Amino acid sequence: MEPISHEGLGRLLKLDSSLQTPHIVFSRTELSESGNLETGGTIKIGKVFDLPPSPLGLDSDKPPYLQLSKDIAVIDNAYSLQPKKLVEIASTFRKEAGFSRLIYAPAVEPSQMPILAYLGVDIFDDLNVELRSSTGWVLESGEWIKNNGKIDDLFAHNKEELNRWILRIRNALLNGKLRELVEVTSLHNPRVSQILYHSTQLLIDKGAKVKSNIRSNDLSLNHPAIVDFQDRLSDYEPPAKNMVLLILPCSARKPYFKSSSHKRFFNALREVDNYLALHVVSVTSPLGLVPRELEFCYPAAHYDIAVTGKWSASEIEMLRNQLIKLNPKEHYAKAIVHAGSSSKIMTNLIKELGIEVVDTRVEKPSSYEGLEILQNVARMSLTGIPLLNTKDRAHGEARGLAKFQYGEMSDFLIKSEISGRMPYKLRCGDFAAMSPVVGGFGLTLNGAITYASQGGPIVVAEDFKLIGDLFAVGVKSYKGNWNIGDQVVIKQNDEVTAVGIAKMVPEEMISMNRGVAVEVRHHV
Amino acid sequence: MSEAFVPLTDFVNESKSIPRDHPLDKPVAKWTEEEVLNGEIVEAGVVILRTRGCYWSIKEGCSMCGYFNDTVPGGVSDDMLREQWKRVRPILKGKKYAKIYTSGSFIDPTEVPFDFANEVMSDLSDMGVEKVLIESLPEFVNPKNFNYEKAPKLEIAIGLESSNPVVLDKSVNKRLRWPHFVKVCKLARDNGAEVKAYILLKPPYLSEKESIDDAVKSAIDAAPHVDKISINPVNVQKNTVVEKLWFRNEWVAPWLWSVVDVLKKCEDLPIRVYSDPTGGGTRRGAHNCHDCNKKILQALNNHRLGLGDLKGLHCNCKSRWDVLVQQSNLRRNGSEPHGYRSGFSGSRHF
Repeated sequence: MEPISHEGLGRLLKLDSSLQTPHIVFSRTELSESGNLETGGTIKIGKVFDLPPSPLGLDSDKPPYLQLSKDIAVIDNAYSLQPKKLVEIASTFRKEAGFSRLIYAPAVEPSQMPILAYLGVDIFDDLNVELRSSTGWVLESGEWIKNNGKIDDLFAHNKEELNRWILRIRNALLNGKLRELVEVTSLHNPRVSQILYHSTQLLIDKGAKVKSNIRSNDLSLNHPAIVDFQDRLSDYEPPAKNMVLLILPCSARKPYFKSSSHKRFFNALREVDNYLALHVVSVTSPLGLVPRELEFCYPAAHYDIAVTGKWSASEIEMLRNQLIKLNPKEHYAKAIVHAGSSSKIMTNLIKELGIEVVDTRVEKPSSYEGLEILQNVARMSLTGIPLLNTKDRAHGEARGLAKFQYGEMSDFLIKSEISGRMPYKLRCGDFAAMSPVVGGFGLTLNGAITYASQGGPIVVAEDFKLIGDLFAVGVKSYKGNWNIGDQVVIKQNDEVTAVGIAKMVPEEMISMNRGVAVEVRHHV
Repeated sequence: MSEAFVPLTDFVNESKSIPRDHPLDKPVAKWTEEEVLNGEIVEAGVVILRTRGCYWSIKEGCSMCGYFNDTVPGGVSDDMLREQWKRVRPILKGKKYAKIYTSGSFIDPTEVPFDFANEVMSDLSDMGVEKVLIESLPEFVNPKNFNYEKAPKLEIAIGLESSNPVVLDKSVNKRLRWPHFVKVCKLARDNGAEVKAYILLKPPYLSEKESIDDAVKSAIDAAPHVDKISINPVNVQKNTVVEKLWFRNEWVAPWLWSVVDVLKKCEDLPIRVYSDPTGGGTRRGAHNCHDCNKKILQALNNHRLGLGDLKGLHCNCKSRWDVLVQQSNLRRNGSEPHGYRSGFSGSRHF
């Protein structure tokens, strides 16, 4: 088997030339009974595999949760387990099953297949579809419709539709859109939405970071990438002390600084003396607040949302929380709000935190008049603010970004010789440079050596001349832990020979014999 | 992949709860019902005495049995037992057939003292009762436990549940062994008692088809050793493993069609095989769809009393049962989607 794509805990595996997961087995031809209670029958997925025995006498509330045969791990009762319990079990899937076993969830409803695939289930069956068909219901995009007309052989019809449905799941997984499909199926399905709700933290901790565009909606406030971004804002520090916080609206174009409105803001502001002491933070939903330096970081440059101009109560609460994490009272001397329709809300929220704030009260922030007012307000606000030079500002920006990205291991980047300036030319000596692909600082080979020596994640590869990506078959062992999408260092013969982006999780690299393990960015 | 045997002990014990307080001088229940005695339909008096309960349920218990809920953990004194007996006598008076149940084994001397049992039996005999049915675990079926001075014809009902040791161990959690069962049947019959065997239909974890096959096989195995067989479809009793599985939708009560199917397959056996489903027609008991529950239960009752057979029963839900039975062994447990028996009519179920 060869992993082709990941999203969340789900994986699209290529089993052979025509078989991919998530996969449906058809019970009448591909499942067989065992004939006695203590063995498990067989399942045909290309080849015929033994199934583990059914869970006689076991309490589904207690581990081990999966029944294992040599090649298959069965999650019995996936259709009925308490949502919270199911998520808890999903967090131990790979610990119990490893990566070389396929995870099979028997007798689940089509509407639950996307969320289960998102949590790592590989194989489904048509047992419930057969029952539904026998009562005259038609399957349509994962939902059941009562059929009044006559369809010859409804079961065959529904099996075809089920095939299309699983194809849709697979396709979504391939394109990083599985989350969207899960959200769609959760809309009017309390069970799926509960599972989705409870799985956020698990997905942050262990899920693959696919960096696909988030076309957001009300459910996105719980999107793992968004919650993760919001959480990490608490460790963030602005480039310098006593700057003036400038709240600007977000833009449709990402990253914001490339949008026409933000270019106009910049052009207006740079005519003001000491404009470098202005710190631009964009206000947006569902992310909340995005400081300028973090605009490259996923998902700040990878989402889209319907613009209504209205803020819901939960969004306002979210903005308040984000503002508290930004800690304006400690970090900024004062604040300017120039955010159009969200100005009033932001002004009030900032006032709550007890710092001086000026609202430009402009309805169209990027209009000619609006820009003029912004310019004047900025000029006024900046009087008395200590001068901030380009170098110090770049230093501060690099520190903020490095900390946001690398957390406790960011020291070597912060202490390096920082040069250039935001956005594209910023560098940390010869350790790291800005990279839109990585979404922030991408490590150079030299940076990788230091990163590895400080405990960064290491993939140990077999001894061969690495020229392109590293494939799973060439992985010998690993050190540390990471999620898909994180940067990892490749070592061969105890020498760092490359650095790149992980395409599999640690154990998976060891278990798999095929597929890209690390997408290499730099090698010797 | 072989796995160490996991007894249900913990699961059973965690499902139980301490029975609430009961009045000690009143029986659990008493009623009359129709029964067959020597080929004739008679009215039988049925009483359930409140006792300390089944010793096995105190230690562990069976996965489907909630009768411990009716027991008194500290035990019931002889005086109180006699008080209970006074209250049930009127209902037994003038009956030819009596059924004396406890929530345990009537011939376990630590549960029902032998002297009290002896008095009860001689009283029944004086009242003109011809046959009395009592229940017991096989371990107490020993002549010294039912060697009464004067007693009606004794019929001992033993819960065999299944003749398959895997089902007994991993589904029912009953420490009964087939050779021992055969031995005690012979012992009872050699000492003048008749034996009635209870066989479970759809104990937990088993699928519809597995459970039908298991019940039929058990009935065929047991037939030479007993005098009649009652097929007991598992119903959901409070504070049991079965109830937990039912709440989690990992198991549902069997279909009445399955009961009918088992009885039909046992038609050729030389002894009476019948079923009187506890809680039949309800969600907690064996049931079909809303349209035919009553009809099938009536037919089962007629069959039990020898008034009719089970031929010609029909309902729209029968074809659903067929589809389910066909695939049920692939489902890996005894579950099915909510609302399937009624064809998912009414509200949405997904």
